[in-house]
Amino acid sequence: MPRFKLVNGVQVQLTAEEEAARDTEEAAWAAGAFDRAIADVRAKRDRLIAQTDYLALSDNTLTDAMTTYRQALRDITNGVDTVEKCNNITWPTKP
Amino acid sequence: MGLISNGTTIFDNGSMASGFGGSLNFISKVTASSSSSIEFTSGIDSTYKEYIFYMVNIHTSGDGDNFQFNLSTDGGSTYAVTKTSTFFRAGHDEADTTTELTYITGRDRAQSTLDQVLHQNLGTGSDESMSGYLRIFNPASTTFVKHFLSEVSANNTNNKLEQNFIAGYANTTSAINAVKFVTSANLIESGDFLLFGVS
Repeated sequence: MPRFKLVNGVQVQLTAEEEAARDTEEAAWAAGAFDRAIADVRAKRDRLIAQTDYLALSDNTLTDAMTTYRQALRDITNGVDTVEKCNNITWPTKP
Repeated sequence: MGLISNGTTIFDNGSMASGFGGSLNFISKVTASSSSSIEFTSGIDSTYKEYIFYMVNIHTSGDGDNFQFNLSTDGGSTYAVTKTSTFFRAGHDEADTTTELTYITGRDRAQSTLDQVLHQNLGTGSDESMSGYLRIFNPASTTFVKHFLSEVSANNTNNKLEQNFIAGYANTTSAINAVKFVTSANLIESGDFLLFGVS
């Protein structure tokens, strides 16, 4: 099915060269799906760990529950090797 | 009754004094319709020192697509201007389980010709979309690099709202004369793009 672009509001069919370039872009995008998903997981993990970093300062003793929570976050990517697994992670509850 | 400030008449009997203030000058509007890209190759010149694209209810066909733009110095033959930029966002989800204020290292650019991302992971629910603006300053300058600013509010996948703040510059002293909006894959199903010049 041909694709179209809008140039100044005028619909223009992509040339064969443009179609090929777009196919290449879309294939690259699809191939990177897991990398993007796991990057989002890591970013969220890092954010959640950082939110409790102040509790791990040397003048404070972590509770067992908080220690378990932070370790669970560090382990959150274990075994996560598909986009579906990335999207269905059960995140630990902050104590 | 008029309004006078520091000896200057601003309003005189209800009318704004001439020469005071500026205005947004409408240039064109494009409505996407399952389009692979939206390109503006006219209307961007030396007429105005600033151009603003308003993007309203941009809805794409692929869940998790990025929405991005690029610039051209050759009237739209190629869109690959070198850019350096920053990207940070605030986020909050409907379940109130995630809040964030984060610099996004993967979406900024460092002397890259790749498209500049304005939003990542667009949601494609029937009621989800992205709206915002892109401002480009003095695109016709042949002396300075071309700065741009963007702020968008968008539905992410997973029922999350993200507000993105993007700033950067096109590292060229050639005039910018065309702009392209595109998704990382798939189509821009719908949405309005309005171009204004600021005088």
